[in-house]
Amino acid sequence: MQDRTVSVDHLSMTYRAPVREPGLGAAMRSFVRREFREVRAVRDVSFNIKEGELVGFIGPNGAGKTTTLKMLSGVLYPTAGHARVLGFTPHKRDAHYLRQIAMIRGSRPLAVSGELTVLDALRFQQLIYDVKERDFKRNLDELTGMLDLSPLLNRQVRALSLGEKMRCGLAWSLIYRPRMLFLDEPTLGLDVSAIGLMRCFIADYNRETRATILLTSHYMADVEQLCKRVLLINHGELVFDGALSKLTSRVSSAKILKVSLTEANLAPSWTDYGEVVSQDEDGVSLSVNREHLPAVTSRLLAQLPVADITIAEPPLESVIDRVYREGA
Amino acid sequence: MHTIRLLIGWIKQDFVRWLSQRGFTLTLVANQAITPLIGLAVWTSAVPNQNLSAYYIALMVVRLCVVSYEHHTFSGRIYEGELADDLLQPHPVVFRPLSVNLAIRANHLLIGLPLLIGALLFTPARFDVALVVTALPALVLAGVLNFLFTYALSMSAFWTERAHGVVGIGATLTFLLGGEAAPIRFLPEAIQPFGEALPFRAMLGFPAEIAAGTLSQSQIIAGYGWQVMWVCAFAFIVLQVWRAGLRRFAAIGG
Repeated sequence: MQDRTVSVDHLSMTYRAPVREPGLGAAMRSFVRREFREVRAVRDVSFNIKEGELVGFIGPNGAGKTTTLKMLSGVLYPTAGHARVLGFTPHKRDAHYLRQIAMIRGSRPLAVSGELTVLDALRFQQLIYDVKERDFKRNLDELTGMLDLSPLLNRQVRALSLGEKMRCGLAWSLIYRPRMLFLDEPTLGLDVSAIGLMRCFIADYNRETRATILLTSHYMADVEQLCKRVLLINHGELVFDGALSKLTSRVSSAKILKVSLTEANLAPSWTDYGEVVSQDEDGVSLSVNREHLPAVTSRLLAQLPVADITIAEPPLESVIDRVYREGA
Repeated sequence: MHTIRLLIGWIKQDFVRWLSQRGFTLTLVANQAITPLIGLAVWTSAVPNQNLSAYYIALMVVRLCVVSYEHHTFSGRIYEGELADDLLQPHPVVFRPLSVNLAIRANHLLIGLPLLIGALLFTPARFDVALVVTALPALVLAGVLNFLFTYALSMSAFWTERAHGVVGIGATLTFLLGGEAAPIRFLPEAIQPFGEALPFRAMLGFPAEIAAGTLSQSQIIAGYGWQVMWVCAFAFIVLQVWRAGLRRFAAIGG
């Protein structure tokens, strides 16, 4: 299909890791005969992403998320399967392809020498990506406004805090307006304000430029706020591809009912209505099966002096935790 | 044109970075200069009246101009996974190690210059300008060959954690057979043709031999022939090793 920016077909990555038992004898034996085990980091993953989509890519540590991103950005050569991104085969590392993508890692947002100033680094990106002066100035103005970079442009990279490095790293990666972004844990280690800024920026950039974004994050709030669609990978396999709400309803058969009463000294038997999740002087949270929710809500309202009642999905963290432990 | 501007940009950036590490560069320069100086002292005593002081001073210049540390500047990037940053950029990955290499060589010459001047002043070495000019293309080719040789060996980092050892073997062979332990003409007669044909002399001793005036015209032409042949051979080797290594590169995970 022509509007597919990313097309992944049975992509796999297997590598060999040396193994040996502890002890001097084993070390001597491995000197002569090395043993290896095969690690299947990514197994037979297939999915498609359309232009302009902002897709969450989640999974536990070691699931294969970053390895998949690296195969799609051309850093790693897959051991099996095919991928097409923007019409290119990533592992061929065509210069035209590399000029249209950016990979931004929260663990290493700004891969430049510490002696350079931020503006030096941006100017060098201009040279590398052959950005015309007019386009560079326009992009720099936009990014400076969106990321509040003015106070940082003349500072050396080594003198930046983590949050500042992340903002500058975003500008550094986007100064040439890539069409495809691979964001690998972009909010890693950031404070609350910086996280908020980052999320707004990603959403704005996606909306204004129609860039296609594949985002990994361990903070479910990032995924909840930014992504309508998620890909969930576990042990190298894609176990879910769809809307986040569908994942929640598929994994969790219950919703959370929060109830507070007008008479605080009442002590009803809450287990008659559902499973008690938490309880304090303000009220109680009950886990209630989705099918029984209308009936339970009606009984509560009829039988108890309810001051306030809200129905919410279970916390995404608990849903995802269950998926990581039990499967989707 | 853009490619040339980009390479110049990389070299400038790396030159400035290395200039800020002049203390460290001084130790590297001293390390490069010590063996030619020892050779100078030993061989001028052992075999006087052979213009060996000119040879070893020229050899010191060659060492500073062809030095290559890709087992530190490039292998480390493979081990640390930082090669992934280079692979994301829309230019050949070799630009980075090449620009670092040229920047380091420029810094070596800058910082080694007082040492060279001192050696010229305090030894009886004299040079013929015409021979020095004749040696310049050989010096450039030696620099290219040394880079290709060390770069190829440093790519063993794709397969082993001992790339430093692999490059070290190469450095030892260059020391023994490149005209530094002893000028090629002092090797046993049965070994001399091999010494002249192998790449080590082309990387190190050959430009010094031209500048010191120890070669005939036919020997100079033959030496240039060997240099060009080895440059082509190692360019091919580098390309094949790079392709195989990239398929093996496993910067798995974050």
